[in-house]
Amino acid sequence: MIAFNGGDGEWDDGETSSRWTAVKRFLLVLAMVLAAFLLSVVPVRLGAFDDVRPPFLLMVVYYWAIYRPSLIPPVLAFALGLLADLIAVLPLGLSALLLVSAQWVVRGQRRFLLGQAFLVIWAVYALVAAAAGLAQWLLFCLFHVALVPIMPVVVGTTLSVLLFPLVVLPLSLINKALAESAAKK
Amino acid sequence: MSRRAKQTGLQAATLKTMTARLSAPVLVLLAITLILFNKIEQQTVERLRVMTMDGLAPVIATAARPFAVVAESLDGVVTLRDLKAENIRLYEENVKLQQWYQTALRLQAENKSLHDLLNLQVDPEMTYISARVIADPGGAFVKSILLPIGSQDGVTKGSAVLSGQGLAGRVTEVGARASRVLLVTDLNSRIPVLVQNTRHKAILAGKNRDLLQLERLPLNSGVEVGARLVTSGDGGLLPADIPVGIVTEVSAEGVFVRPLAPLDQLLYVQVVNAQLDPALATGIISSDPSLHRMRGR
Repeated sequence: MIAFNGGDGEWDDGETSSRWTAVKRFLLVLAMVLAAFLLSVVPVRLGAFDDVRPPFLLMVVYYWAIYRPSLIPPVLAFALGLLADLIAVLPLGLSALLLVSAQWVVRGQRRFLLGQAFLVIWAVYALVAAAAGLAQWLLFCLFHVALVPIMPVVVGTTLSVLLFPLVVLPLSLINKALAESAAKK
Repeated sequence: MSRRAKQTGLQAATLKTMTARLSAPVLVLLAITLILFNKIEQQTVERLRVMTMDGLAPVIATAARPFAVVAESLDGVVTLRDLKAENIRLYEENVKLQQWYQTALRLQAENKSLHDLLNLQVDPEMTYISARVIADPGGAFVKSILLPIGSQDGVTKGSAVLSGQGLAGRVTEVGARASRVLLVTDLNSRIPVLVQNTRHKAILAGKNRDLLQLERLPLNSGVEVGARLVTSGDGGLLPADIPVGIVTEVSAEGVFVRPLAPLDQLLYVQVVNAQLDPALATGIISSDPSLHRMRGR
């Protein structure tokens, strides 16, 4: 069996390791997306921000779209979006549309983003989150033919930009662990 | 490495890249189709939602536990700080409530004797099912909460949901072991209410904002700031006389109402299980005579 280990780099994450078996990897992805999903539905009663929900799923999808695209394939992002829509009574497909589109755009810019400093990654996330928030608000208003306040979206997006380093920290540790285990092979 | 093997590998990689490149646009199209499908086929999507809710409720309930504990202990810390002030306030409130208790007893006796005089059938007794809020997933867009109780526990679609202070919302989706409550502040919430003092009827509409708006109010109603609103029971969906909110603003833009229930910090709620006459909602008169008692008050 010859493992292909070249190509354009888009699909090669440098992990043809045998130690991180498919099962382990699957469990890891499952735990990660479950945590992000639960964080966005569970009532967190911490004062002023009761009403807003930072898009945790978007953060996770964004991070892996840059650093390890094969970890969350578009189909998984799509499925997660559908699940979020069903639980949050959003128009079915809305979050799926946003997650897949965001992932698509970020993957297109992957070569530029990969070598960048964290500040750039952070700033680009702010752009992506703002665009996604605005698109979500617009589509929701269109769907319900009603104008809903945009303020909670602005606050939620701002909060998610502020929380980004905190969310990325465990993700970067996972990334490192994956890279190390691949290198040890 | 043979050349042929390398070529096969290359082909496989190209195929993988191709499908990956294609899948995003295809999924985007699929998502747009689904949104349109949702607009047309609301009921199918609702069934899907109930299934998802039922399946995920145990997971969400487990995950929500630690957050609830943290929230409750934070509340505890705050109270500890103002313990003395809180104590004084409660003491005064208690004195006031005891006076109310006496008044209530007197009124209850009077009410009963008047009912007996008139031979009036009063509204059926209400029972309550208490539940912990396990999720409020809507965030900025949809104001709803999930409860870990469902049809197994006697929850029915349309039931009123109360917090300690007043109406919080209405059950809109019921699964076997989970249900969804649409809060009164949601864009799609419409509650038939009446102004408690003047008995004017109106519709209380959610606007996805903190305040609700009173609609369909008669022009000459003369509603004033501070007026209490209770459910009217019209339409047979909600029991009558549940307190809902207090008028906070009367202006050219409309009449705005603050809900009595603390909707942004609901931890526990009660689902009202009133045995309402289904004919009031459906217009279909059943043959069971016990359901057609005259509704009092």
